[in-house]
Amino acid sequence: MSQQLLSELPELATSSSRLFWRRLWRDNSARHGLMIVSLMIFAALAAPLVAYLSGHGETEQFRDIALSDMGIPIGPTAAFPFGADDNGRDVLVRTLYGVRVSLLVAIPATTLAMLIGLFVGLMGGYQGGKIDAVCQQLINLVLSFPFVVTALSLLALNQGGENGPHVSPSLVVIFVITFFSWGYFARLSRGLVLDLRQQDFIHAAKLMGVPSWRILLRDVIPAVLPTMGVFWAIQLPANIVAEATLSFLGVGIPAPNASLGNMIADVQRSAMYQVQPWFLATPALTLFFIVLGFNSLSSGLRNVLDPHLEYRQ
Amino acid sequence: MALLTVRNLTLSLNAGNALVRAIDFHVEPGETLAIVGESGSGKSLSLLAVLGLLPAEMQVQGEIIFDGMPLHDFSPRQKRQIRGAQIGYVSQDPLSNLHPLKSVGRQIEEAILAHQRVGRKALRQRVLALLEDVGIRDAARRYHDKPAKFSGGQRQRVMIAIAIALNPSLIIADEPTTALDATVQASIIQLLKRLQQQHGCALIFISHNLRVVADIADRVAVMQQGRIVEQGEKHALFHHPQQEYTRALLQAGWHQHESSPRPTLTAPLLTVASLSRSYPQPGYFWSRKAPVHVLSDISFTLHKGEILGLVGESGSGKTTLGKMIVGLDSPQSGVIHLADKPWAGPDIPPPGPQHPLRHAVQMVFQDPYSSLNPRRKIGDILAEPLQMTAHREQGKPLSPAELQQAVASLLARVELVPELMKRYPSQLSGGQRQRVVIARALAMKPQVIVADEAVSALDITTSHRIIQLLSRLRAETGLSLLFISHDMDVVAALCDRILVLEAGKIIEQGSPEQIFRNPQQAWTRRLLEAIPGTQNPFNKGGHYEPAVA
Repeated sequence: MSQQLLSELPELATSSSRLFWRRLWRDNSARHGLMIVSLMIFAALAAPLVAYLSGHGETEQFRDIALSDMGIPIGPTAAFPFGADDNGRDVLVRTLYGVRVSLLVAIPATTLAMLIGLFVGLMGGYQGGKIDAVCQQLINLVLSFPFVVTALSLLALNQGGENGPHVSPSLVVIFVITFFSWGYFARLSRGLVLDLRQQDFIHAAKLMGVPSWRILLRDVIPAVLPTMGVFWAIQLPANIVAEATLSFLGVGIPAPNASLGNMIADVQRSAMYQVQPWFLATPALTLFFIVLGFNSLSSGLRNVLDPHLEYRQ
Repeated sequence: MALLTVRNLTLSLNAGNALVRAIDFHVEPGETLAIVGESGSGKSLSLLAVLGLLPAEMQVQGEIIFDGMPLHDFSPRQKRQIRGAQIGYVSQDPLSNLHPLKSVGRQIEEAILAHQRVGRKALRQRVLALLEDVGIRDAARRYHDKPAKFSGGQRQRVMIAIAIALNPSLIIADEPTTALDATVQASIIQLLKRLQQQHGCALIFISHNLRVVADIADRVAVMQQGRIVEQGEKHALFHHPQQEYTRALLQAGWHQHESSPRPTLTAPLLTVASLSRSYPQPGYFWSRKAPVHVLSDISFTLHKGEILGLVGESGSGKTTLGKMIVGLDSPQSGVIHLADKPWAGPDIPPPGPQHPLRHAVQMVFQDPYSSLNPRRKIGDILAEPLQMTAHREQGKPLSPAELQQAVASLLARVELVPELMKRYPSQLSGGQRQRVVIARALAMKPQVIVADEAVSALDITTSHRIIQLLSRLRAETGLSLLFISHDMDVVAALCDRILVLEAGKIIEQGSPEQIFRNPQQAWTRRLLEAIPGTQNPFNKGGHYEPAVA
């Protein structure tokens, strides 16, 4: 008997994390997404280096060499690879700093939203009853706020007059974005937990007398996390766009500092893009590629982590 | 001349790894051929090849000649013209094969319109006649109902109506009754048999259970690992099987009673007294419906070391009863005592982690795919209950070396090799998983195990081995088992005593001998008649003899 059962065994799997990366690399959209995202992160990290090498600071203006006699910014040259903006600032350097801001705002905001959402979803979904009802209503309440209006008023409140803002505006932006995105994470995790709660392996753990916190930690959270991770990568580009939106509206990252949003806003304000498209195209395309990269990564992650493809080859 | 001839058919995904190897079979007009084998033996694949429904990457070699036409050379378009019109198909899962948003009548109409142009009135007449023919009562009204309003058996009847809609000369039925209850299974087989005689078409019936095909087949082909190991006329094959494998299948089909020594019944371990449970029906408060009584006034006792069978159809309340006994659900009235202490009742809080007897009642679930956490290795899954038991009995956890040893010996008890502890559940077969689930329950050192349809998701040989295992474990450990099933036959093979549950009430109880020899209730007789193979002449005396002591 044991001889026969032994022969039925498939080949042993290699270590699961190595396998995960191998499968991720084999998936086309995950590979492309991963490449774009790493390139963007690398670029953001390299921003000060590029600034040092080119000798152009983030907010330094070079009106004499970067603007023509008519005041029109120049296109790409050896000194300004992506041209200059209407104030004579280096578009490449500013874009790299902008990517930095986008990631520094969106990654913490999305992660925080995921943690809050996971907690609320687990509480509601696993405990059920009144707690669940309260959590659900809370989520509905938060999701019913209009994003732009609420964000504008919150950020306006933060403007304290002469002494500058009360709190650093980027912290407020992180807070606002977190506030508006945790609800989606909570809904998602609650749904997953509701389904898991009905699974026989959870019943079995209950029947063995395993305490609830251990069931949550050992059985529920590991089952929910991969999906949450995929949704993190879906939500991140949305939050990058949200940050850009706020900066575009002039309430995000304050003026001389670059962010993709306020760079695009500058372009639009000066209407100079009609004669000099480079300083619109660079931040806009960069934003496009960041969003594309994370979206593509998330769809690849979804393929790789799909529980229906659980069979480990 | 044969209606269908399959010659030297080989199906492979990649070279050197054939899933079906050089099989030959034929079907005469009007004849029934049963193809029998375990899951994975290639029986469904070979028939999908006949239908032209194989996945595109599958390589096909060999000849398939249907009614003089070489199907193996046909283009997909030509195959489509044959399929449905001249070859009908009934599949295993009636729940997922009907479109959920289209009325049943529409779906039968579509099957006809795919091959013929028929006027609207004539079409409707034909569909109504078909529905009547397959035994759907009140066809004119049900015509517009969506599949959700039909039971599993009725949906399978609708699938059959679609299959026979164009009077095909061959019907292929791929495990058409596996997903259905025993009594429904019997009625579907009768229906297929009657329709086949009426229409004079040939039938290929695929099953993993030799016994199911005993009533219906003229000839039987036995498949194992992609080969037909034996085929021949039914009686010859049943009486004088040539192959060891066929003999094993025959034995598995007719459960032998496991003769583990019956314990002398001592004190009752679990006492259930006038238990009731009803569920409120969904509705608004101004139109509240009466609650559904799932269980009413259930009383029985389970003795120490006894295997008690609980038989009933789906919807009879047997799963709810099992849940209440293990403590996943609470009764609304009545009380359950475990070892003379109150265990469950309307005023007793559900037994939580702190309950001193929490370990004493464990469960083995129906679906071996959802009862193990797919993200944890078998070793980790089994370590948890072992550690809890060590804590309970010795007040300290096992050392890593002791734990390793304990997991290995636990696996050995359920006849699995220790190497399995490094695997994930997805790397195990259904039978192996069910053994792990049993091992997990055993690790808690329980007094009672509730097994809810523990073998109904497994194929017949595997389920037979699991039954042997349960019987052996009872003899070794003296634990009590409440075995819930819809299959009278399985229950008779394993249990010391049987309770028959119908619509939430226990209508009959007794030993398997009493129940089988002298059933008191009409419902029990129906359950017994539903055991396939009972009408068959090679069963001595023409009536079913349970293989009981």
